[in-house]
This record gives sequence, C-alpha cells and structure tokens, in this order.
Amino acid sequence: MKRTLLAALLVLSIGTPAQAHFQMLYTPQMAMEKGGTLDLKLVFTHPFEAGHTMNMGAPQEFFMVHKGEKTDLKDTLKKITWTSLTNSGDAYEAKVKARSMGDYVLCLVPEPYFEANEDGYIQQITKVILNNGGMPTDWDAPVGLPAEIEPLDKPYALWTGNVFRGVVLSEGKPVPGAEIEVEFLNHPPVPGKNEFQKAALATAPQDAFVTLTIKADADGEFVFGIPKAGWWGFAALGVGPLKTYKGKDNSQDAVIWVQAVDMQ
Amino acid sequence: MRLFIATLALAGVLGAASAAMAHTPLFSCFDNGDSTISCEGGFSDGSSAAGVAVHLLGADGKVLAEHKLNDYSEVTIKKPDGAYSVQFDAGEGHRIKIAGSDIVE
Repeated sequence: MKRTLLAALLVLSIGTPAQAHFQMLYTPQMAMEKGGTLDLKLVFTHPFEAGHTMNMGAPQEFFMVHKGEKTDLKDTLKKITWTSLTNSGDAYEAKVKARSMGDYVLCLVPEPYFEANEDGYIQQITKVILNNGGMPTDWDAPVGLPAEIEPLDKPYALWTGNVFRGVVLSEGKPVPGAEIEVEFLNHPPVPGKNEFQKAALATAPQDAFVTLTIKADADGEFVFGIPKAGWWGFAALGVGPLKTYKGKDNSQDAVIWVQAVDMQ
Repeated sequence: MRLFIATLALAGVLGAASAAMAHTPLFSCFDNGDSTISCEGGFSDGSSAAGVAVHLLGADGKVLAEHKLNDYSEVTIKKPDGAYSVQFDAGEGHRIKIAGSDIVE
C-alpha cells in the first residue's frame, strides 16, 4: 500500500498514470512445441504502459531448474539497451539451450534498484516457467527463493478465461494477506528488436485498471481470472526477508509471469 | 466413443502436433550433429517412459533396430543411411512416429 500511495503522490505531482514496476523475463512463447535456443530478455519496466524502463544492475543470480537440476546462467547474460515508449534503459539478454522435454524454471535475482521517488530499493525476484513438449516436470515445486510465488496452475498452459492461482511464499512459508500487483504486458516486445511495440493491445478506462491490486487469503493463496490472451505479471510486494539494503528500505518482491492463449 | 477419442488423440500426435489429452504419450527427438539422434519420451501426467520401446524404421516401414528408453526416458540412436523414422511404442493408442526429416539440430 505504501508503494501505491507514493505512486499516487507521484501521479499528482507529475500527472502520469499510476503504474507498477515489473521485472520482466521474456521470451515469446512459454509453451514450446519443440526445444531449441531460448531468446530471453530481462527488462525492468512498467509493462502496461511500456513506460519508463529502469536501468538494471548486474543480476545477483540467474539460473534455471530443469528436471530438478539447477544450472547457473549468469555467464549467458549480455547487457543491452531496451527502448520503452518514453526512454531507454540498461537491460540484459541471454540465449539458453533448452532441447529436452519438460519444464524450465528460470529464476532471476536482480541487483536491488534504487527508486529515488520512493527513497528506497526494489528487488523483484522473478520466476518464469517455460515448457517444452508438454511434459510437466518442475512447475509446481518451489525453488526455494527468499520471495517466491508457487503456482497452483501451470503458468504456461492457460486458456484465456482460466484462473491463475498461486501461493505467496517468504522463505518457503505462506504470506497471509499478501498484496499482489497484477499487470498486463500491453505492449509486447517487437520480435528481433530490443523495444516494445508502440500499439497497445488494451485500453484501461481508469488508473485502477492499469495495475490491478489483489490480496492473498489467510493461507497466502490468490486467484486471478485472466480476461485476455498474453503475458500477465504478478508481483507480491515486500514479502521477502531483505527489508533494508545499503541503509535504505528495500522491497523484496516475488514476481511470476503467466501466458494465456485464446481458444481457436 | 473412447476408441474414437483415442484415435483422434493418436491422429493429432501423428500430425506432428502435441495432443493435449489426459495421459497423452509424448515423444521428441533432435539431431546431435554427429550422425546420432537423441530421443526422449514421457507422458503428459509427468510419468516416466523408462523401458518403453523405441523402433528405428526404414523408408519401407520395416524395423531396422529396437531400443529401449533408459532410466531418464532417453535414448541415443545412430542414424541410418537414407530416409527413416523413429517410433515410440508404449502400446496400442500410445504410439508416436516422427519422420527423420523432422528431426533437426
């Protein structure tokens, strides 16, 4: 709520719509027909508006879990410049081989980002689960991140109109009443380029629709009905144990992305 | 009706697309670039395909070699000369054939 209030104050002061920070870990398709080389983009931005893209520092951790085995991917990272609709910022990309069938749980622990407007840091620990060939292997097992969303539905196998359910975890334990921001990737990346597409897929009638805020129940579980095909991000705010960083407040958030597709 | 659905599932699988039905067999192969291919089998409920037979078939459909998936549900096979296909054979209604021309690096 604190972050929402600060964002609202920022809106009043400079007149831009309220929008949430989201760490993206993007590849065009979460559910792959065939394996190959994943083309991953790591961008810290505001996905509904494709607005201000923040400069990412060198990630603290970047790895994947496949069939229970953890592989460090930090060496695959390459710094790039990402162009949003309003600016450019430091981001990363990676190419990762994923030929074997099963789930690929990609995890990113970024360097905390100093948000001057909030006089504090934001660290969004991000998980994206891809699948090759339809064989489920790892999607429902928590990785053990300090802040994590455990999916109760496969994030890569959702029809438009399905619900996505998850449990917010802090050091492996559910977080009752956790506040979760939900945002639609309204300007998907342009294939082959490090930029968002200019055309929006949806229009929000009012600011409360740009960043949707929901709450987990007493067991840390949340449910969200998915109204439109595409990528949806979920960020459970400040649930991680690292509350301060370099002498300032740190919001250690748990992020997960899901992708819904239309029935055709 | 069940046979009809199973037939449809098999038809979908043979059509080189995945078939999203309960307990669907899954099979995937890629070319290692060293005259061998690696194949992997499984089921949509996550169960293992260890021990399932994998047949290497010639252009005429005749069996050239028989293999079994290992404990990791994988097998590596030497490519034959000429056209070929590979069949995952977990029994009636649970067979998947992949043409060699669809197996790429």
